[in-house]
Amino acid sequence: MSAGEVGRNTSQERNTSQERNTSQERSTSDEPWPVRVVSQKVGAWIARLGWVWVDGQVAQISRRPGASTVFLTLRDPSADLSLTVTTNRDVLDSGAPELREGARVVLHAKPEFYAARGTLSLRADEIRQVGLGELLARLEKLKKLLAAEGLFDRARKRRLPFLPGRVGLITGRASAAERDVLTNARRRWPAVEFRTVNVAVQGPSAVPDIVGALKVLDADPTVEVIVIARGGGGLEDLLPFSDEALCRAVFACRTPVVSAIGHETDAPLLDYVADVRASTPTDAAKRIVPDLTEEVRLIGQARARLERAVRHFVDREQHRVDLLRSRPVLARPQVMVEQRAVEVTALHDRAGRCLEHRLGAAADELRHTLARLRALSPAATLDRGYAIVQRGDGHVVRAAAEVAKGDPLRVRLAEGELTATVDG
Amino acid sequence: MTEATENEQLSYEQARAELASVVERLEAGGTSLEESLALWERGEQLAGVCQRWLDGARARIDAARQRPPD
Repeated sequence: MSAGEVGRNTSQERNTSQERNTSQERSTSDEPWPVRVVSQKVGAWIARLGWVWVDGQVAQISRRPGASTVFLTLRDPSADLSLTVTTNRDVLDSGAPELREGARVVLHAKPEFYAARGTLSLRADEIRQVGLGELLARLEKLKKLLAAEGLFDRARKRRLPFLPGRVGLITGRASAAERDVLTNARRRWPAVEFRTVNVAVQGPSAVPDIVGALKVLDADPTVEVIVIARGGGGLEDLLPFSDEALCRAVFACRTPVVSAIGHETDAPLLDYVADVRASTPTDAAKRIVPDLTEEVRLIGQARARLERAVRHFVDREQHRVDLLRSRPVLARPQVMVEQRAVEVTALHDRAGRCLEHRLGAAADELRHTLARLRALSPAATLDRGYAIVQRGDGHVVRAAAEVAKGDPLRVRLAEGELTATVDG
Repeated sequence: MTEATENEQLSYEQARAELASVVERLEAGGTSLEESLALWERGEQLAGVCQRWLDGARARIDAARQRPPD
């Protein structure tokens, strides 16, 4: 039975069913198919794929001495999937004589169903080991593809936390890379906490291992940054770190990822897709935690500057206030009063002088008036010997007829007075 | 003592600005004795407010320095 016949639809097959030695087209519980029929049908379906070119990684190879058939386990480099490949020793020797586990191969094969065991394998008639040049060309192509998709975009990079609560570390067990990251990070920040997941960092299981570890660490909320570290190695050893599935897994991480692969000169695609690229595992330690000593020094410096600045400010203000307070109007308030006291004294003096002047003038006037008064008095006439005679009633006697005999008279002289009586 | 309370509430900058204007007015002259005295008293008060602010600031700086770093 050919693959073509199996491909026909059921109604057509029913018409020809009588011609075949196998019985029914449909199996039922009353009329089940024997194993050989099922096996035959499965074999036919599998054969329909025909010849294909397959790209894969050799996970295992067994060349049994003396046997002409060689078995390979061909693995997908990005996923945990594999197929068995059988081939002739001659095919292997002509196409890939040096083939080892871990190598990338392209092979021309046809799937075959081994009916005796019910197993599936690829029968290869040509095997080519993928050379360095071609690997590089493929990487370059993948790099362009990922770049075009935006996996390397600077804008998509996440910032690392200043001080991560916990650091996820994906690295080989007991590797130099692990030690470098742990030692250097602890030297810088002794309290740093790690959650380390040890994985295969080369070989066929590297990519699935690392992707699995990424998922575990990304799901851990206490992990605030993830470091993928591996020491240096040949281009082929570092291939897992340029794997497309790994790159996509890193891109999908919510936690920032630091790549620390190999040496300064190594640049696997992981370096481009990671949020931070560290040149070495030691460099990664510097990127993920701050240096305690340096931070303490910076804080000390900042405090000193802060204090200088604030003291300077207070001192400057003190100077301004001192200047204001030292201005004479504030510093010598008594001036305010003294000035006015001087004015008052001056006025008082003026008032005094003014009064004196007036008093003097009044005294002079009095003297003059007195002199005039004196000039008018009869005293001067009396001095010359004249006398004034007055009657008892005070009347000044100017004629003899004004008096009678016996009248008393007062005679006023220049010096004193005397009394007299009229006798005729 | 409403005035004193009012003074305590003045910020340093307010007190200093007012002090400067008091000094200017006193220096310009032309005020009555009573006004001058009142201005001078105000000036003294304001200078006191400024000084208290500055002393307080220094005390706070010194206190902060004495405190052991956390």
